Amino acid sequence: MSKPTFVYVTYIASTPEKVFKALTSTEATGKFWFGNAATSDWKVGSPIEFHRESKLILQGQILVNDPPRRLSYTFQPMHNELYSGEKPSRVVMDLEKQKDQVKLTVTHDDFAPDSKVFAGISNGWPLVLSNLKSYLETGTTPLYAPWYEKEAASAS
Amino acid sequence: MGKPSFVYVTYIRASAEKVWSALTSPEFTPKTWFGTHHETDWKAGSPWRLVFPDGRVADSGEIIEIDRPRRLVLRWRNEWKPEIKAEGWSRCTIEIEPAADDAVKLTVTHQLEGDGTKFIEAVSGGWPRILSNVKSLLETGELVLKEKKS
Repeated sequence: MSKPTFVYVTYIASTPEKVFKALTSTEATGKFWFGNAATSDWKVGSPIEFHRESKLILQGQILVNDPPRRLSYTFQPMHNELYSGEKPSRVVMDLEKQKDQVKLTVTHDDFAPDSKVFAGISNGWPLVLSNLKSYLETGTTPLYAPWYEKEAASAS
Repeated sequence: MGKPSFVYVTYIRASAEKVWSALTSPEFTPKTWFGTHHETDWKAGSPWRLVFPDGRVADSGEIIEIDRPRRLVLRWRNEWKPEIKAEGWSRCTIEIEPAADDAVKLTVTHQLEGDGTKFIEAVSGGWPRILSNVKSLLETGELVLKEKKS
C-alpha cells in the first residue's frame, strides 16, 4: 500500500536563480504565499517558520538547500487544530532549467497515516504555485488572502 | 482507489470566457497546445479530434457535455502512439469556476476508463505544460513554453 504523494509541476518564464530566490525570500514568500512569510537561515538542520501577521502558520526543518536546484524541508502546519498532533511531512522542490523557462516540481510526501494535512496541501499547493508563477512573470499575484482562507477552510 | 487518473488545478487571472477561448478557439489553441487544433462543432454528442499541423490526428473522441464557459467533458482516446492508444478510452473534464474577483480556478481531470499507466503518464506530462502556457498567455500575453520538443 503506497502512502499518498502530492506532485505538482509548473513551468515559469524565469531563471532557476530567481525562482529559488523567491522560494527562500521572506519578502517574496510574504507576497505570493498569501502573507505567509518564510524565515530561516536556510542551513541544513535549521528551523524554518512561516508567519502571517505575526501568527505562526507553518514550521519545519531544512533538509536540503542546494541553490538553485533543490530545496527541501519538513512541513508542519501550526494554525489549524485539525492538523494538531500530526507528524511533519516532507516537501521537496526541484528546479530544472529548460531553455528560457524553469520546470518547478513540488513533491510532498511522508505523511502520517490517514493524514488530514494531505487534503489541505492538495488544495493549497495549486494556489501557492499559481501565485508564484504570476508573481515571477507579472510581478503581481492574482489571488489574495481572504479567499484563500475560505478555500483552506472548505478543504478540511 | 479509483481508476487511473490525473488532476491538475491552476488559478488564472482572466475571465472564464477568456480561459475557455484559450483552451478551445482556433486562434489560441495552436499556441497553448503546441501547434495542435481542435476539429469539432462543439455540440454535445459531436465527434472531437485534436489534430497536428501536418494533419495527423493526435487524439479523438466525442463531446459528452458542454456548458460554455464552465464545463467541458470529452471522451478521449490517443490516436498516434499505439502503446497509449491500446489503453483505450478516457474521460477528460475541464471545469472553470470563479475564484477571486478577477481570477478563475481551472481544474482538469483526466481519467482512464480501464487500466494502464501509459496514458495517464502521458497526460501528466502534457497538461502542466499546456496549462502553464494558458496561464502565461492570458496573464502576460507571452507563452512560457514556446515550442514543443519533438
